[in-house]
Amino acid sequence: MDTKMAWRNIWRNRRRTFLTMTAIAFAGALLVFMLSFQFGSYEVMINSAVKIHTGHLQVQAEGYNERKDIRLVVPDPEAVAAVLEKTPGIEAYTFRATTFSLVSSRDRTYGIAVIGIDPKGEARVSTISDIIREGEYFSDDATSQALVGELLARNLHVRPGDELTLLGQGRDGSIAATVVAVKGVYRSGQDEFDRGALQIPLALFQDVFAMGEAVHEVVALCTSLGAVPEAKGTLSAALTRLNENRPLVALDWKELMPGLYQGISIDLISGLIMYVLLIVVVAFSILNTFLMAIFERTREFGVMMAMGTTPGRLTKLLLMESSMITIFGIVGGMIVGGLVTWYFQVDGINLGGDVSEIMREFGISGRLYPQLSLLSLSFGPGAVLIITLLTSLYPALRVRRFRPVEALTYV
Amino acid sequence: MHLQLAWRNIWRNPRRTTIITIAVVVGVWSMLVVGALDRGMIDQMVRNAIATLTGDIQIHHDGYRSDPVIENSIADPKDVHNALARHLPEGSFWTARVRVNAIVSNARYSTGVTLVGIDPESEARVSFIKTAVVDGHYLASDDTTGILVGRALVDKFETKVGHKLVLMSQDTEREIASRAFRITGTFRAELEATERQFVFVNKAAAQEMLKAGNGISEVSLFLPDHETVDMVRDKLKASLPPAYEVETWRELLPIITAYLSIMDSWIFIWYLVVFIAMGFGIVNTMLMAVFERIREFGLLTALGMKPWWIIKGVLLEAFFLLIMGMAVGNAFGFASVFILNRTGIDLSALGAGAEYVGLPRVIYPTVYIQDVITANVVVFVLGLLITIYPAAKASRFTPVEALAHI
Amino acid sequence: MSIVECKDVKKAYRQDHLFVQALGGITVTVARGAFVAIAGPSGSGKTTLLNLIGGLDTADSGRITVDEKTVTSMRQSELAVLRLYKIGFVFQSYNLIPVLSALENVEYVMLLQGVPQRERRERACSILDEVGLKEMYHRRPAELSGGQQQRVAVARAIVSNPSIVLADEPTANLDSKTGKELLQLMEKMNEEREITFIFSTHDQMVMDYARRLIILRDGLVTDDRSRDP
Repeated sequence: MDTKMAWRNIWRNRRRTFLTMTAIAFAGALLVFMLSFQFGSYEVMINSAVKIHTGHLQVQAEGYNERKDIRLVVPDPEAVAAVLEKTPGIEAYTFRATTFSLVSSRDRTYGIAVIGIDPKGEARVSTISDIIREGEYFSDDATSQALVGELLARNLHVRPGDELTLLGQGRDGSIAATVVAVKGVYRSGQDEFDRGALQIPLALFQDVFAMGEAVHEVVALCTSLGAVPEAKGTLSAALTRLNENRPLVALDWKELMPGLYQGISIDLISGLIMYVLLIVVVAFSILNTFLMAIFERTREFGVMMAMGTTPGRLTKLLLMESSMITIFGIVGGMIVGGLVTWYFQVDGINLGGDVSEIMREFGISGRLYPQLSLLSLSFGPGAVLIITLLTSLYPALRVRRFRPVEALTYV
Repeated sequence: MHLQLAWRNIWRNPRRTTIITIAVVVGVWSMLVVGALDRGMIDQMVRNAIATLTGDIQIHHDGYRSDPVIENSIADPKDVHNALARHLPEGSFWTARVRVNAIVSNARYSTGVTLVGIDPESEARVSFIKTAVVDGHYLASDDTTGILVGRALVDKFETKVGHKLVLMSQDTEREIASRAFRITGTFRAELEATERQFVFVNKAAAQEMLKAGNGISEVSLFLPDHETVDMVRDKLKASLPPAYEVETWRELLPIITAYLSIMDSWIFIWYLVVFIAMGFGIVNTMLMAVFERIREFGLLTALGMKPWWIIKGVLLEAFFLLIMGMAVGNAFGFASVFILNRTGIDLSALGAGAEYVGLPRVIYPTVYIQDVITANVVVFVLGLLITIYPAAKASRFTPVEALAHI
Repeated sequence: MSIVECKDVKKAYRQDHLFVQALGGITVTVARGAFVAIAGPSGSGKTTLLNLIGGLDTADSGRITVDEKTVTSMRQSELAVLRLYKIGFVFQSYNLIPVLSALENVEYVMLLQGVPQRERRERACSILDEVGLKEMYHRRPAELSGGQQQRVAVARAIVSNPSIVLADEPTANLDSKTGKELLQLMEKMNEEREITFIFSTHDQMVMDYARRLIILRDGLVTDDRSRDP
């Protein structure tokens, strides 16, 4: 009967209830969409960075990540590979070696990062083999060849087939020099990478830079982002058992790209602050509705109290009414927000020139696809629910201060 | 009389009036503060970028921007000097630079950098570099072996002031030129990337090393009044041969320009969203106020009050609610921005994240008068607009219907 | 044997900055099964006295017992229980919960008492039949006439067999014919169910129905007489 009463009570003033529900639904829908949008962008940012730069996990010599010193190596990569084979959650792995070097074409000289990649393994871990715009990816037995980013190719004035001279310093301090032919030109969409890096086969790298069997990074891709922490834990434990004279460490993408991770946190936090402000405005907007509902019905509460209804029961009735309004609003908001998000999730959003330009900075090129997830669907509406219910506590508790006689004489 | 009546009417229910006013206050406050934060952030980004090396306007040889090598220099800067002398407004400063990609190395490390050859005296008036030196000292005009290096690069290279670095770059004959320099000072910059990217030497030393003669890569200039940027650019462009590119910072910093151009619409969208959130409250509150007084309105109609007067009465009540909320909201908004602006919001704790997003280390929220006007116009105009609904309802109560209502 | 005993009951209200003496020392007893009218001009303290007996309000001094329980020393929660089981109320108007039908209004009291649903339904139906609203079970208060509403209120007041029903000007908003019918109904309930009725009025016709008439003036009993049966 209480439920029935609450239900009928909220419809005593349809217009008001409807407006209140719409206010709540508006906030809920907006938050579902915005959070889906943010999470969607983050996922693209993380994935594109992980797929092109770092992988989910890397095994490196301790200190290499900070100093990038060519002498800090993983001396026996096969031993690490054996560990990775036994680590659950690892999908693929590859070896890389990196150093800074001069690269000269016929016309131009630039200083860039030379990255030695294993043609087979790299294709499994990174997207580089898929983003070749001109020429081809390495064949498995590639020798004196190089892949060049689009912007670097333009700066060097080279096309596939042209020769490049690399000049740097080997691991042992000796002069390292070689000539490679451009095999392919790629475009990752990330200007810094496309301008500042050049890939050669790992075997050639090891030969030219006097690396022996050693590499700098063992790059691993996990089955999903969620599988990273556990895989990292298992891997770290296993690495301590490898008897290397310099300890090896496992680093995850957050450590490899602290800027990306913290940047996402900042974006998320600043978003959350704005959402809380918005919900507070909504809360004050609807507080009046909840409050008026009790003052209009003061006499009625007087009669109910005279009949022996306890204040606790009145509070319960009022909370039930506000919960119903809130939940209807929230569910409506989730449906509308979910549908709008879903619509854009299929088609993507084109935010226009200026926004796309900014997004490209963060590795998002082309259309943006919001990502509807359980989290993005529930988090915003959940926050609205909590704040709205807290708001409705005030009138619901206020009714306890009513005294029957005063309530009965209230006009 | 109308005003008094409306004013008294809204205070018939002080609790309700207070609550809806608070909703407007919180709304207006959040509009102003979020707007000021965004403006402060982007202003700081623009200031940093301009001060770092960009300046208000740059002049290059027209091939330089797409292919920044020493060959694409302004071989004889005399034309430029003349044009600058003729067209620069009083109080402007300018400097000429050699700017090319280079490799810097010591015994242990090497990395790619941008080599900037500067004229220490004029550079100090245009860019950040003189004030940014934290260890050692700034370049002396006759010091042809000194080099200024960013703190981050010094740390990475495990070196310090007084130690040697070797610079390598391609000269005008497409040969690799190299030369040793001694670190005279290290600098800090707003972004760590700047500290890693740029090294500064004397312009004459760079020209000699690169066999560039009198050639320079760019002229950067700083105007006393930033509003005149486009005008000065046009004048310079007109008086220079077509082989020169004259660009303002807007053209030189496309990302920041993109941020700037979406900022207006972004802030406006935020205003609308906040307004919608409080709009529901305003409509609901006014509806309640109107329905409570249904008898009163019926009576007024019966007495011959024209519907328009009733609408006007209700709108006046909304007017007072909005004005009160806006006054207090603006006051709070200005107060919080004022406080935050004096202390600044220090983001340096966020470190790499702030850098990645391109945020400055400290944000000083800045009130733009145009934002304040927009926010208040949005609240006021839309606020009155949505009140027409309850007001029209009130004007349509017939006496019979109203008296039957209990 | 008395059901209500009031001993030197005083009550003053603060109105703005004035103290208004509503009851200036009332001492009365009401016997079980009585049918009593409290009459007097408006402001004489009728409603205040009913409210105090019903535990809706607290006296400044004096003692009130209802069915041998001292109302004046009870806490709010105890008073709520007392009202629920021992006392029924009928007010001048707006007696009913507007969102509930006639039947549900009657059932609601029993719901508060924890009566099982089936029994609730049966008892509510039979009492509504008794007050002559057989066809009106599912009407909402807004769909009932004033007299019908008051009948539902009476039904609700007596459905849980309270010791006493307090009715504050129950007929004030009714025309005289409907008022008379309501009084006859209350009288019938009083006789059949032996429930004590105390009602306030300033209507001569209502006073004529009472078997005992207590007259108040300025918060004091000025007359108290019983009509011989």
